[in-house]
Amino acid sequence: MAKFMLLLYDDPASFATMSPEQIQKVIEKYMAWGARLKKAGVWSASHKLTDEPGKVMRGKGPGVRVTDGPYSETKEILGGYYLIEVESYDQAMDQARDCPHLEYGGTIEVRQVDNMGA
Amino acid sequence: MTGPGRGHETRQLVDHLFRNRAGQLVAWLTRVFGPAHLQLAEEVVQDALVKALQQWPYSGIPDNPAGWLLRVARNGALDALRRDVSFRGRAGAIAAEIARTADALAGDPVALDGLLRDDELRMIFLCCHPSLPQEARVALSLKTVGGFSVAEIARALLGSDKAIAQRLVRAKRQLRDTGATFELPAGAELESRLESVLEVIYLLFNEGYSAHAGDDLVRLDLCGEALRLARLVAGSATTSAPAAHALTALIAFQTARIPARVDGAGDMVLLEQQDRALWDPHLIALGFAHFERSAAGPVVTAYHIQAAIAAVHAGGHTVTAWAHVLGLYDDLLVLNPSPVVALNRAVALSKVAGPARALAEIAALEGDPALANYFLLPAVKGRLLAEMGDRRRAAASFRAALERACSEPERRWLVRRLAEVETAEITESTESTESTETTESTESTKSTKRLTPGERE
Repeated sequence: MAKFMLLLYDDPASFATMSPEQIQKVIEKYMAWGARLKKAGVWSASHKLTDEPGKVMRGKGPGVRVTDGPYSETKEILGGYYLIEVESYDQAMDQARDCPHLEYGGTIEVRQVDNMGA
Repeated sequence: MTGPGRGHETRQLVDHLFRNRAGQLVAWLTRVFGPAHLQLAEEVVQDALVKALQQWPYSGIPDNPAGWLLRVARNGALDALRRDVSFRGRAGAIAAEIARTADALAGDPVALDGLLRDDELRMIFLCCHPSLPQEARVALSLKTVGGFSVAEIARALLGSDKAIAQRLVRAKRQLRDTGATFELPAGAELESRLESVLEVIYLLFNEGYSAHAGDDLVRLDLCGEALRLARLVAGSATTSAPAAHALTALIAFQTARIPARVDGAGDMVLLEQQDRALWDPHLIALGFAHFERSAAGPVVTAYHIQAAIAAVHAGGHTVTAWAHVLGLYDDLLVLNPSPVVALNRAVALSKVAGPARALAEIAALEGDPALANYFLLPAVKGRLLAEMGDRRRAAASFRAALERACSEPERRWLVRRLAEVETAEITESTESTESTETTESTESTKSTKRLTPGERE
């Protein structure tokens, strides 16, 4: 069994005009999706990242530079991630395919955790 | 943090929790910030809801979702107070009040609910401030108390998003410029404000109950919100006038019958074909409870009579007591001599005295400019003519009705009735007398499917 990260990117500005009822509906869809991952036994962890853009470090020794970021060209930011256990990229994408994140215009990046042949 | 639903697979959000809490939290913050800062209160609450959307998919629904939202709104409000220079010297006192309420009540859902309800009630009265035009009162109530988005209000009120957004901006500016306060008015001013509040709730309900455009016959959202607001007003000692109870009863009775008014295909079902077992007995009981309390006093309003008519319908488990309904319409016409009421009365009259008498009454209404675009006038006329066997004129009436604005289910209903009389017309002109008689009897059976605007209002 391999581990995959589902990295969820979205544009928080797109939520500004949603009504409370719409927001609740979206949350309920995520909950149903998450519950399905658990039922299928593939869910391993999920975390939200804080809203500030974080820090980027570059350079070495006394020359290490720290900047705010990462600022990408797009407005999308990495909001959080899910760690799931499945056999293959195909299976990982099958799990992610009906994630409401996609329905609401977000992007999901799927990456496999490298277990170095262990 | 655990993942979504871990160990709580069944934890679910209460229906409309976000909508209801949003309205209450906006009301709470509008009170502590002051009505001039209504916009800021809305932004703070929206941010709290969005934070839930960003957090809960990863961490699961918290044990006390409403408390979570209150806490996040509290923190957002304190941040906003630090940023917004327009509060100047007031910021410290407001911050203390916000922290005091939120910290004391976050863990006490019952006390919290009481406080927020109180604020919400004041908020409705603020939205109906006399300085605002009525259309602004409706839009602002839907936005701030009802938690509707601009797009949802635009759909409900048949306006454009842009027009509604502008209306809301103007209304908030107006409240700020007038120096409107959050406190309930007293004495005669309370009475007139209450009248306006009830009117806005009545309009909301009507818009939901008989949408005259769009795909849905009924907009349940609006009906539910109108019932909630009516109960809020009728349930508060300061504002529970007999008229408030009458309006609540009316809305409860009508809402109780909604499940039977639309069939599985979204088509309209008229009163006499409705499966009365689908009527909601709890809402009917609620209606009668408020109806009883509406009688406490000498005042009889149009809401009282409409509630009485709705009570006759709701109490008619197998048939409708039309003579009683007709008498009530007579009373209503005295209080509210509008052509729409007269048209409704004509329908009741047709049940009691036959279609010819009703048609004579309707003829008197036909030139009324208020009904010039009202599809129910020709639709009712068409049904009555069909009932009398005058298919040619019935068809002409249904065609005229189809030229006026109506909802999609109403349009489909009209198309079917038109097809029925047109088919009968062809049969009549091409077949023998004997088969005409057969058609006639079929038609008279069908004519019990009568359009009754009385059941719609």
